[in-house]
Amino acid sequence: MKRIWAVVLAVVALGAVALGATRIKAGFIYVGPIGDYGWTHAHDVGRRIVDEKYDWLETVYVESVPEGEVETYIDLLIRQGCNVIFTTSFGFMDGTLAAAQRYPNVIFAHCSGFKRWANMATYMADFYQVYYLNGLMAGALTKTGKIGYVAAFPIPEVKRHISAFAIGAREVNPRAEVHVRWIYEWYNPAAAKEATEALIAEGCDVFAFTEDSPTVVQVAAEKGLPSFGHYSPMYDFAPDHVVSGQLVHWEKIYEDFLVKVHKGIYTTKNLAHVDYWWLLAQGAVEVGAKPGMVINPKYEAFLKNYVINHPVFGRISVYDLVFIRLNQMADPGITFDPFQGPIYDRKGRLVVPAGMWMSYDALITMEWAAAGIVGPWPGEP
Amino acid sequence: MRRLGPLVFEPRLVPSRLAVLGVSLAAVLFALLLASAVFYGYGRNPWQAYAQIGRGLFGTWPSFSEVLRRAIPLILCGVGLTLAFRARFWNIGAEGQLLAGAVAATGVALFLPVPEGWRLPLMFLLGFLAGGVWAVIPALLRVKLAVNDVISTLMLNYVMAYIVEWLVHGPWKGPTMRGFAYTDAFPLSARLSYLPGTRVHWLTLVLGIAAALVVTGLLARTRLGYEVRVVGQSPEAARYAGINFTAVFALVMLLSGGLAGLAGVGEVAGIHWRLRSPGHISMGYGYTAIIVAWLARGSPLTAVLTALLFGLIFAAGDYMKTALGLPFQITGVFNGLVLFCLISFDLLMFWRVRLARKEEAWTGSTGSSAR
Repeated sequence: MKRIWAVVLAVVALGAVALGATRIKAGFIYVGPIGDYGWTHAHDVGRRIVDEKYDWLETVYVESVPEGEVETYIDLLIRQGCNVIFTTSFGFMDGTLAAAQRYPNVIFAHCSGFKRWANMATYMADFYQVYYLNGLMAGALTKTGKIGYVAAFPIPEVKRHISAFAIGAREVNPRAEVHVRWIYEWYNPAAAKEATEALIAEGCDVFAFTEDSPTVVQVAAEKGLPSFGHYSPMYDFAPDHVVSGQLVHWEKIYEDFLVKVHKGIYTTKNLAHVDYWWLLAQGAVEVGAKPGMVINPKYEAFLKNYVINHPVFGRISVYDLVFIRLNQMADPGITFDPFQGPIYDRKGRLVVPAGMWMSYDALITMEWAAAGIVGPWPGEP
Repeated sequence: MRRLGPLVFEPRLVPSRLAVLGVSLAAVLFALLLASAVFYGYGRNPWQAYAQIGRGLFGTWPSFSEVLRRAIPLILCGVGLTLAFRARFWNIGAEGQLLAGAVAATGVALFLPVPEGWRLPLMFLLGFLAGGVWAVIPALLRVKLAVNDVISTLMLNYVMAYIVEWLVHGPWKGPTMRGFAYTDAFPLSARLSYLPGTRVHWLTLVLGIAAALVVTGLLARTRLGYEVRVVGQSPEAARYAGINFTAVFALVMLLSGGLAGLAGVGEVAGIHWRLRSPGHISMGYGYTAIIVAWLARGSPLTAVLTALLFGLIFAAGDYMKTALGLPFQITGVFNGLVLFCLISFDLLMFWRVRLARKEEAWTGSTGSSAR
């Protein structure tokens, strides 16, 4: 008899828990195809990780959504029962805001934008610190002093990354140049290939890039030249030539956000000031050729033997410098930032005064090019 | 009469309207049948899937309105293309002409100091002219320099796409967009209103249907329409009759491109409220409109119906991606299958097929037995 009561109580208790817990159905709207091996792929990896972790969570996604169509897709997802919507392109901003105002009982989060509402938060995982660390390595690796950078669009995000990369390269090698080619596409392997080949012809011998395919890595590796992977782990595409790279962990943001929604911390009333700007310290981004491999072992010896005279640390190997800087930025009490003044742009103007760091607003609107960058820079102040 | 195996093909000189309609419907149904394989491949029962799509699209007015909204640019571009195709001018450039209209509309919306009430009418007027002028260029190239119209119209699409890209990255980049490549948002006076509860910018829809009526009248009842038909059907006769080719092609393309330009105005003033990357302004509407016009067989009014069919396919694609979780390529697969079946079924429109009677000889045709 006691046993039966125990079972009944257990069932009732389970039922109560099930009823009490809010089930979340989260819809993800992607601008690209999930097979792009870049931006959208990374968001989808994050989605799947969180989906598998929590049984109160169900997720659905739509890929390759044109920017003007975002409201249509939000409508369709909400009709399917989604109560949280993530939109992952800057161009979705106004559509997401309009939808947030039309659906006050649904929670929205928009990636990379700046407009918020009572039920609409914003979030971003940014790479500029990681590009700086990659720049330190690239500065040591270049023999010609010319580093190639294949860039997507001349927008502040990409400009910030190239400048951080150039600042890193020059910290190690004050004569290093970063040669930039714009391809005006987020995903275009053919254009990326042409740009890489043109940069090789110009004498560049180390490569970094912003494009959602491993093309630059592959083209450089064919010529035996080192490169830095972008967005996804690209080590496997050229294990002898991928030195390091930028990796993202969107799941850290998605998990934090959804758990807070589930616990009732985030509601449809209090998101107007919720803005994730997550960097190394929050674990949203990682430096490495693949997860857990900060520097490809093939390049360890070289970087350990490459000793420079550093203004702060004195004689130090680039290998050690990378890890010191990484720890300074990954530590929750961040003690270093790549854009730490004094910084002069390539026209010689002081853009960050001595002793200052750039504000968040200055970072996300930055247009200037750091010293050492060579090539056209549309919109340069 | 031709024979192929046990089948006999008899030519229909002029296919009846019924034959055209029947064969086209059969082709679409056959395409849907082929597409079921895609559903099977993704582990879904195709009949349930189609039923779900049907309920999803026709269930409520807001969801059905999406079909209308997607059809708007296709109607305008499609009607314009039927006119060009009637003159045998192969305008593959509706995409670029649409973008030209979008550019002109954006210029008026953001930079032209005009009274608020004049803004939308001026956007449509200049959008029409911009699309038209962009289309007149290949017309003149063909008449004066014998430049192939397919190539020139197609290439001008890329030129216009790069102009849009340059504008949003360069001179027109919006100060409020924090460096991203978009213009600022249009003022309220430059935005089109919607039918209640939908995103159907009804003014552009009305313009599209009016355009279909006007072009029909023009073809049937005006001197220009007569000349267009003669030029299209028999250039030799046209030359003999002294028809001015330059004027006919220039006027036809001004109208054809102008209508595509109106579609561009509708997209930026109705949907985007700004200029942005060309691939996001138009989902290949200018290219899909070629199928729309081709299917309509030169009839502007039929083009309204075929545009609605493709609006339906686009809207169904949106629905399939979300409700059925199919990959994004699904709309393209459907478009491709429908087009493929329609072209293949053309055979049936111009040839009646029946089983051969015993007494009919194997080589009943004048040519070889194989088509």
